[in-house]
Amino acid sequence: MRTIRTGWNQLLVTLAVAPFVIPLAVMVGRSVGGEGFLRNYGAVLNRPEMLTFLRNSVVIAAGTVAVTFVCTMLASYALAKLPLRGREVAFYLIVAALTLPSAALTVPLFINVRNLGLYDTPWAVILPIAALQTAFGVFLARGFMAGIPDETIDAARVDGANSFRVFWYIVLPLSRPVAAVVIVWTFVSAWNEYLLPLLFLQEVDQQTVTLLPSYFVGQFQADQPKVFAATVLIALPTVICYIAFSRFFERGIMAGSIK
Amino acid sequence: MTWQLTRQGRGFMRRPPLRNSFYLVPALVLLGALVYFSVFYTMWLSTHEWDGFGPNPLFVGADNYAKVFGDAVYWKSVLNVAGFLLLILLQMAYGLLMAVALHGRVVLGVVYRIALFVPVVLAPAVMAPAFREIFSPDGQFNQALEAVGLGALRHAWLADPDTAIFAIAVIAIWSGTGFSFILYYAALTQVDPRVFEAARVDGAGRLRTLWSITIPLMSRTHLTYLVLGTIATIKLFDIPQIITGGGPANSTQFPATYIYRAGVVNFNAGYGAAMTVVMVVICLILAVAQLRLGTRAERNGF
Repeated sequence: MRTIRTGWNQLLVTLAVAPFVIPLAVMVGRSVGGEGFLRNYGAVLNRPEMLTFLRNSVVIAAGTVAVTFVCTMLASYALAKLPLRGREVAFYLIVAALTLPSAALTVPLFINVRNLGLYDTPWAVILPIAALQTAFGVFLARGFMAGIPDETIDAARVDGANSFRVFWYIVLPLSRPVAAVVIVWTFVSAWNEYLLPLLFLQEVDQQTVTLLPSYFVGQFQADQPKVFAATVLIALPTVICYIAFSRFFERGIMAGSIK
Repeated sequence: MTWQLTRQGRGFMRRPPLRNSFYLVPALVLLGALVYFSVFYTMWLSTHEWDGFGPNPLFVGADNYAKVFGDAVYWKSVLNVAGFLLLILLQMAYGLLMAVALHGRVVLGVVYRIALFVPVVLAPAVMAPAFREIFSPDGQFNQALEAVGLGALRHAWLADPDTAIFAIAVIAIWSGTGFSFILYYAALTQVDPRVFEAARVDGAGRLRTLWSITIPLMSRTHLTYLVLGTIATIKLFDIPQIITGGGPANSTQFPATYIYRAGVVNFNAGYGAAMTVVMVVICLILAVAQLRLGTRAERNGF
């Protein structure tokens, strides 16, 4: 009786999950068509642009993660655990930025980036993404840090620790799960960003992986399998990053959002 | 709190020291210089006519706003967002059911979990070639329809102004459901299993347990996904921009794609700015409504 029900459960779950896998199967399946796996992927990896675009994306993702992490963790700590003037106002000022789509702010962002002399440099993309990701990071991390018991912090204060030592030695290590979420999510967002690199990085040797599919459509003309091979390669880092952190991710997103 | 007892500590409580605010400086500088500068600049620009390059934006007062209110495509894009907001409920239901199912006995549960969430981390730019193929006239979507005997529905989904929006909706559900799933899955892990055990002992069936126990227990999670899903929907840009470019015949235009089209592609920065301001005002009204709803639900012990 029990086995039959389990069997049904398994079948239903498989049917319900299948539609989510189909697009991935199409993508991978097409990438090994035509001239075959080795030739398709070989041809893509042999394009010098591939490595340039990959390197640029790595630089931008790493820079965005670093800036976002510093801003998010410091601000969340103060908002969650320190007596602060205008705490609510500051929180809403930061989190309200969550609702603004960068596509609607491209003109002022462009003016800003140009005036700062950052056009065609990785910073033109890093800073705007980091600003918007900080909003999401604070939304999650403040809730998580608020859940750290005050007694833990008080104990350190009695021992004479100043607020930064409390942050560095107590709050930051205890916030590892939510830090993992902030890092993974920021990395994925920066890696996947499409519009800002398209607008702010004009030189081909500055561009990022999200611009590759359309670039390769031009390069490989009708050779679709090679375009698909490129998309599979571009997708891999985000998938690997998520799978590697998935256990942290599930714990952190829970603790962060449900306070 | 212990530090209140020290002399310094009492000062600390009476008037929080300014140095605590230093922790906010990096975040506020970043957001101020980029986001809030942009917001104020957009407000200023919305009363001007400007191609985005020339030296002197021309002051035109409320002309841009008058144009926004009479622009059928803009309101069509707002309507599209409103429709997509309903998809959030679908994503919540699907995510919750999958979370409950995967908390039961499932062989290789971790594989299913990853399969559901991976779409969330994949860029629309990366998935676009696959989706264009799937929805093409002899793509996999039509083949699947044929296979289940619905061949009569075969269609060039992305080329027809009446159906392109459905294809975009399918893609949005595909890429968003994993997020609602992961939130519910994580929330369910936190529930004491004895709660479900007690329900079973009391003779509650699976549906009854879901309706009377699981759904009320997840109230914070519903709210979290409602907020995050609404934000993501309002910002929807990459999927329609890359897959249909807002077309055909503006049928898949969303505020972000239309503002981008007007402000950047068509060199009408002032008009794009006015549309942005109108959109932000609509968002603010929505946000206040949601917050009210949230606090009222909380007060009622929901």
